[in-house]
Amino acid sequence: MHPLAWLAWVTLVMVVSLTATNPLYLVVVLLAVVLVGVLAPRTSTAVAGVRTLAMAGTALFLMSLAVAVLNGGYGEHVLFAMPGPDFPGWMGGLRLGGPVAAESLVAAGVRGLSISCVLLAFGVFNGAVSPYRVLRTAPAALFHAGLIVTVGLTLLPSSIEDIRRIREMQALRGGATGVRNLPGLVVPAVIGGLERSMKLAEAMEARGYASAARPPAPARLAALSSAPLLLPSGWAWFYYDSARWLAVAGAVAAAGALLWWATAAAKTSHVTRFRREPLTPIDRAAIGGSLALAAAAFALRSLGAAGLAYNPFAGLAWPEFEPAGALLALAVAWPAAHAVLLPGAARHGELPASAAPEGTNVVAEVHP
Amino acid sequence: MIATASGLSYTYPAGDAPALRDASFHLEAGSFTLLAGPSAGGKSTLLRALNGLVPQFHGGRYAGTVTVAGLDAARTPARQIALAAGMVFQEPEAQAVADTVEDEVAFGMEQHGIAPAEMHRRMDEVLARVGVEHLRRRRLSTLSGGERQRVAIAAVLVLQPSLLLLDEPTSQLDPDGAAAVLAAVESLHRDRGLTIAIAEHRLERLLPLAGGVLEVEAGRVTAMSPREAGSRLRAVPPVCDLARRLGLDPMPLSVPEAAGLLRGHGLSCEVAPDPAPAGPPILRAEGLRVVYGELAALDGVSLSLHAGEVVALVGPNGSGKTTLFRALVGLQKLESGRVCHFDDEAPAAVQQRTAFTGLVPQDPAVALYHDTLRAELADTLRRRGHRAGVSTTLARWGLDPLAGRNPRDLSVGQQQRVAIAAMLAHEPPVWLLDEPTRGADGEAKAWLAARLREHAARGGAAIVSTHDIESAARYATRVVGLREGRVAFDLPAREAFSAAGPVPTQVARLVPGAILPEEVVRR
Repeated sequence: MHPLAWLAWVTLVMVVSLTATNPLYLVVVLLAVVLVGVLAPRTSTAVAGVRTLAMAGTALFLMSLAVAVLNGGYGEHVLFAMPGPDFPGWMGGLRLGGPVAAESLVAAGVRGLSISCVLLAFGVFNGAVSPYRVLRTAPAALFHAGLIVTVGLTLLPSSIEDIRRIREMQALRGGATGVRNLPGLVVPAVIGGLERSMKLAEAMEARGYASAARPPAPARLAALSSAPLLLPSGWAWFYYDSARWLAVAGAVAAAGALLWWATAAAKTSHVTRFRREPLTPIDRAAIGGSLALAAAAFALRSLGAAGLAYNPFAGLAWPEFEPAGALLALAVAWPAAHAVLLPGAARHGELPASAAPEGTNVVAEVHP
Repeated sequence: MIATASGLSYTYPAGDAPALRDASFHLEAGSFTLLAGPSAGGKSTLLRALNGLVPQFHGGRYAGTVTVAGLDAARTPARQIALAAGMVFQEPEAQAVADTVEDEVAFGMEQHGIAPAEMHRRMDEVLARVGVEHLRRRRLSTLSGGERQRVAIAAVLVLQPSLLLLDEPTSQLDPDGAAAVLAAVESLHRDRGLTIAIAEHRLERLLPLAGGVLEVEAGRVTAMSPREAGSRLRAVPPVCDLARRLGLDPMPLSVPEAAGLLRGHGLSCEVAPDPAPAGPPILRAEGLRVVYGELAALDGVSLSLHAGEVVALVGPNGSGKTTLFRALVGLQKLESGRVCHFDDEAPAAVQQRTAFTGLVPQDPAVALYHDTLRAELADTLRRRGHRAGVSTTLARWGLDPLAGRNPRDLSVGQQQRVAIAAMLAHEPPVWLLDEPTRGADGEAKAWLAARLREHAARGGAAIVSTHDIESAARYATRVVGLREGRVAFDLPAREAFSAAGPVPTQVARLVPGAILPEEVVRR
């Protein structure tokens, strides 16, 4: 699957899980994402593993529940009361403790669920597509900025590994690994990270990397002027009905300036790409489909149709489960179908069968 | 003439002493030059001056001129210099930009805007030349150190430089990986006439290959022939050391050459017998078994260590050396087996166990975090509730001159020493050292050998994992070989290092009965 198709999928998951507040649909989305994660090829050096992100998702889910409990909450179905001080009114209605209602718990659970879906989707994306592949699809104007970010990401796993090793070494020196010894953990990790970045920057320079020739001055000026154009345009649009035409003109001018800069930047950048991944018709269809589904989710939500929105404070009724909404949530699983029906295409541009299988270096990769 | 330096002096921005002092030398086209000298002597700086990283990347005070392929190295932009002088660094991990072999090798070409068709042609050619063709679709993280370092060389060669600079490219590798990298470098020189300048501590392999040697010490550069280097350098391979003691002429550079010269010389050896270990074992491992997934990293390893013993632990990468250390201090969960201190089962907690069995893992310098060495040692002593004063500890480790220095400002070799002292400041009876001499120069190795012998003489014991047979012969009393998680051999040092043993030293192959140069006498 093409990196852009993956990006479209992540966008779809994000839009669906943030527009839908119906817990039933969210559970379907979560299962769909898990299914994709299981079936999708895991090929990149993942920055953070699916497991880490799944744990982070669970933690966030539990945290949002805990906050709801601590914070108390409004609602008719009061479950229990948490002891807590009364804050005076001038503190802006700060609440701690008090009655905890089922409604607020459900609302917190829904919030946690949708965040978990998004996090997990990013984990799957991250495991399936290496940052370098994403970079290669970036437009020329963004290539250099993207390169810095990508290279930065390649340092992350080694920094995590550093922290693990430093922790172990402080334990070997007889230290506790608690909060009191935090400097012993943080200082070496930060210094080590900086040293590693310096070494990498040096190696990149030695191989001829230098920030590319900059686009001509007028183009850069145009790009700079786009922001001061956009701000008053926005202002005019919202506050002066009579000056809306001016706002539109300003926005168009800003977009034009940015476009000019991007083309000039693309022309001055002499970077070539070793391999370009072509977008297959299936990839194109997948991207189009994902974006259409995301738009559909927006539309259904703003129309209040298909039971996408759920309000627990309206009497805590069982959420609706309509075919349209359920199908939308289920459609999130499309990369799984892709992986099953087109196993060859799913691995396009990745390690071919002739390459050594994953895990040849078992000893080196296991970090007990 | 491919590169010339004249009157080159350079000081790093944060440095108080010059890293290079009035260096003048030249490299002939098609030559193979070895840069030798102690670590922090200026070898790396010299290489960086040859491709403009010094002063362009590092800044600092610079005087003199360096010309590489007709370009002024101090002023030509990095993009152009990279096409003339390619540089391979010490750590393979610290120079990779991409995550697969092909992307990594393509990076430089992409930066120079080389057309895709040409890129593919060069890629095929270069990968085949350094022998990593079969790895082209692999991810870098699944490669061994030697493979990664060859990929790094390929990534530089695709830019078709006329000069290849290598900064201790094998110091982080095991012997097999190092041999593969050096073989690749050698064939580039021999078959393609590529000019090579390489900084290295492992002179055994390189002295016979080199056409010339630049000795770099305290920033001063002296050019000499390899044979002169064999008789003049401070740290030389044991063969050269032996030849010096015997006054051989010409200076031999390899074992076969020395064997030819020594024929007919009546030589014998004088050996002081090693004291036999006495008393009960102070550390005992019984049937240790560790399993990672399906793979048994340790498969029933039993080992006992007596007071006064220094064991050299040898074996290829992945044979279980590091796992054995981790198991001994309790960092690694055992599938079966047990560890005893004297007759008692060792405590479970790592902290208590390391009070008795101190472990120094690889690259211990990453754990240093105080401003001074003094504070670093005081920290370990405080954590261990140890009463010994910092001054006593400093003296014992021979580190008094560095007491007030910031560990981060020290050279890599000094940092390593400071870190070993910091990990073992509480003087545990048993020391475990995981590849402490990796990338170390002669002085650092001698320092470590001295500390190990003192420790053994005080009634302590140690296990040192190493690939460096020649320096192990200077401190080991016993050699244990691991292979695929099992003990392959466990022999007294003299037997193991002898010509018939599993890990013969250079001298042992030349003079029966001896293992070190100083043991050889004329009859």
